[in-house]
Amino acid sequence: MAIYSFWIFDKHCNCIFDREWTLISNSASGTMNSKQTEETAKLLYGMIYSLRSVTKKLSRDDSTNEVRSISIGKYRIHTYCTASGLWFVLLSDYKQSSYAHVLRYIHSHIYVKYVTHNILSPYDFAENENETRGRGFRKISNRNFISALESFLGPMIAQ
Amino acid sequence: MTVRMLLVINKSGGLIYHRSFEADVDEGLNSNDYLILASILHGSFAIATQLTPKALQLSQSSSRNIDYTVPYIPYVGMPRGRTGNERTKSTASTSQGKLGSFKGDDFFKEPFQSWNRSGVRQLCTDEFTMYIYQTMTGLKFVVVTSQGTLSPANPSSSNNIFNIHVADNFLRKIYCLYSDYVMKDPFYSLEMPIKSTLFDKQVKQMVDNLV
Repeated sequence: MAIYSFWIFDKHCNCIFDREWTLISNSASGTMNSKQTEETAKLLYGMIYSLRSVTKKLSRDDSTNEVRSISIGKYRIHTYCTASGLWFVLLSDYKQSSYAHVLRYIHSHIYVKYVTHNILSPYDFAENENETRGRGFRKISNRNFISALESFLGPMIAQ
Repeated sequence: MTVRMLLVINKSGGLIYHRSFEADVDEGLNSNDYLILASILHGSFAIATQLTPKALQLSQSSSRNIDYTVPYIPYVGMPRGRTGNERTKSTASTSQGKLGSFKGDDFFKEPFQSWNRSGVRQLCTDEFTMYIYQTMTGLKFVVVTSQGTLSPANPSSSNNIFNIHVADNFLRKIYCLYSDYVMKDPFYSLEMPIKSTLFDKQVKQMVDNLV
């Protein structure tokens, strides 16, 4: 049981938060909101987006049919999409079957509390037209959000 | 639990066989949609390789520890009534020759290696689960099932690894059928859509055995 990285995407296809742990034994290691992971974020977004379109096509009626997890040889991707277009994505090892409750908790108790309810935090991370459609660069740098997230995910990194 | 759909994708990402086992799914999709679907799946295979987490890339030892052996799960997709004591010599002898060029009452009876090491193996959604089996030659077999597992013995398993293994067993049997009824067809040209009634019939039978 280990988690490898955590990502948040907004409705403009921008990655607004990323955190990757590089050493499984050390919860302080790794990168946060790094420029280097920009390409990875785009690939990840693109893959989930296309698989979502597959599931949308294959669903029987118009009811929402969301992707829950994608299992890939060595690891597993868990997704949680909100109605406001936010995607919470967690990469874990392949053994864990569901992280849905973890992602829901991050959204309802950490994101909403420290980002949505924060008057100083921007409501939308794309400030103008030029930053939509995946061209944005703004990230969540809120201190409280980061520390709450770290203390919540920290114990799960090398279980 | 039912099988909703079976797809075969060739090594260049083209759809060579698709069949849905439920009428209502078929209505919503035309053959062009199926082709797009197959290419998207093929593309996400290529992307998945690029997305390997840093932690796994750095610690070679931990990624080497991953066991790609798929255990043999007995009689997935084989006719019922052969389990337990019923599987005596008499039934085994009557069933001989029913598996094409394969001997015995099952296609294989030993664990095998999965060649799908860095590609998508399973896609879980609210409504269905999709399993992908890739052969060494790059051919992909895709099965879409409604929620649940393909295992006849354990129909409500929630163990994901187990479900993947059952699906791999099933799809490997479809691959056995493919090697028998498609590869040995002199009128079949490689990488082209499969139009074999024998293959159709055998696949249908195997899917029916699952339910």
